[in-house]
Amino acid sequence: MEDFLVGLAPPLIKGILLGGLYVVIALGLSLVFGVMKLINVGHGDLVVLGSYFAWAIMGWLGIDPFLSLVMGVPLFFVLGFFVQKFIINRTLRISLDAALIACFGISIVVQSLCQAIWTPFNRSLLTDYRLLTFDVGAVTIPLRYLLDFIGGLAVMIALREFLRRTYLGRAISAASQNEPVAQRMGINPNRVYSFAFAIAMTCAAVAGVLQGLTFSFHPTSGPPFLIISFGVIILGGLGSMAGTFIGGMIFGLTQTLGGYFSGGSMLVQTIAPYLLVFVVLSIRPQGIFGR
Amino acid sequence: MVVRDKMKIPRLTTLASIAVLVVLALFPLIGVPLRWLNYLFPFFIYLALANMWNLLAGYTGLICLCPHAFVGLAGYTMAIGTWVGVPFQVGLIAGAAVAALFALLISYPVFRMRGIYFAIGTLILPEALKAWFNFWRPVGNEYQGMGAGYSVTGVAGVTLGDTYWLGLAIAAVSIFVVHIILRSRLGLGLTAIRDNENTAASSGVNIFRLKLSSFLIAAFIMGIAGAVWYLYSPRINPTGGFSISWLLLPLMATVIGGEGLEEGPIIGAAIVTFLRFLLADYGAWSLFIQGIILLVVVVAMPQGIAGLLRQVGAYRFPLRLFQAAEGKIRRT
Repeated sequence: MEDFLVGLAPPLIKGILLGGLYVVIALGLSLVFGVMKLINVGHGDLVVLGSYFAWAIMGWLGIDPFLSLVMGVPLFFVLGFFVQKFIINRTLRISLDAALIACFGISIVVQSLCQAIWTPFNRSLLTDYRLLTFDVGAVTIPLRYLLDFIGGLAVMIALREFLRRTYLGRAISAASQNEPVAQRMGINPNRVYSFAFAIAMTCAAVAGVLQGLTFSFHPTSGPPFLIISFGVIILGGLGSMAGTFIGGMIFGLTQTLGGYFSGGSMLVQTIAPYLLVFVVLSIRPQGIFGR
Repeated sequence: MVVRDKMKIPRLTTLASIAVLVVLALFPLIGVPLRWLNYLFPFFIYLALANMWNLLAGYTGLICLCPHAFVGLAGYTMAIGTWVGVPFQVGLIAGAAVAALFALLISYPVFRMRGIYFAIGTLILPEALKAWFNFWRPVGNEYQGMGAGYSVTGVAGVTLGDTYWLGLAIAAVSIFVVHIILRSRLGLGLTAIRDNENTAASSGVNIFRLKLSSFLIAAFIMGIAGAVWYLYSPRINPTGGFSISWLLLPLMATVIGGEGLEEGPIIGAAIVTFLRFLLADYGAWSLFIQGIILLVVVVAMPQGIAGLLRQVGAYRFPLRLFQAAEGKIRRT
């Protein structure tokens, strides 16, 4: 029994730490979903674009991926603002399905752009601390997983404070709670949408760096992140930061514990999160929070 | 919003389309350049896929993001079948049947989801299948199966003409099926579901059964189209069979051509095929340009090219010509 628990500790800790990464990705998706009721199908690809951006800056200027965020975050923010303004806002006026297809178009464009510029090979952000580990008692933990967790926590708290304390943040929360009323209070929904998407893009930039440190990436590695983060917001609930955080942990744990109990099988590790999302979706078809 | 079909279609249009079909079917016999067949065959397959995607998205209101699951499953069924001695003719039908069976299995959970949840729910399945086929090796030695994939064996005798005819037949059947469905009670129920599911249910439409029938038909035809594709390029692996491009092609063809319009997928598939061959030398940029075109169409003309043509009345002139010709024939 004791051996069992000792054996269980590394995947448990790793899963919880890995959850931080999923939280960052899911927060961006959840913000857009909350305000527009639209799933940005390209979110996973935007995360991968963030990874590539950090990778390119690293190769070009030789600076740390976290420092490259100083450029990445504003760039992604502006990009997101205009993508929403010129593409998604226009399609949202037609219908939600049209907007979904527009997001799909963005996904194709981003994927093929990454492939055209950076070739389809596997890349990862090779920093000198990438493979460092440290020991907690008997458990060895890779540093990059801890960075995921810290990053997740930091982004979550920053976003929460932003939504609570700033005017724009409150406008976004208001629009996601009840749009008609928010509109009557003088909030311009299109503007709120644009800012929400821009913030979602900055989340993608941060998530891209964390993701690139944790795993390797290639132009088409986006969709799994989309699916997992969608699962996170369904499990965690919309608008609840703590819920999103717990959802992220659950998905991290599914992956690591699934791998652990199947004897390190890659099949179970890759397929378990998908099955979890699918099962949750089929039990609660409108998501846990419902509409 | 859909442009309603108000124009009276003369009977000569049917005759004209049959004539086109016959001419296309004669192509391999009259010795046209093989290049033409190689251009037309992908067009037929994309057309069949796009037609079925249009049936789901345009007429049933199901934004189904899993055609690659059907294509991959059918392709794999046929490929593995040829390894255990099943002739490919049986394999084609078996592949389509497996795709339809898969659709039946997932129908209950996915139909509980609506709108955007349905889209994501269906997007998960091919990803999971791809992961599964990356690790699964039912037959063959260690150089086949898993990530490396299978060759379709025993199809050396199949000529380009044969696959061309198969593709043509499937494309024609897909057009015919949509045509028939739209003029039947089923089509009426499906469009009612698309326009408003709750109202349709309260008017006595059996939503589940109708959605299921259109889903099964689409899965079967998409499956057989995919299997024929793997007869044409006889090698299947998980990344190719469950590749997202099997979703992109029908989606782009339908949306660019005109979603919810019968002629939309035909126009769209022609454009997508044309772009594919035109941009074949540019690698990833080809997909980039197609994505940009998709975005432009979605933003600028939400009804696609066919919707635009209907709006400007581009069909009026040829239809009037047909009508005049018909009138003349009747008088003589």
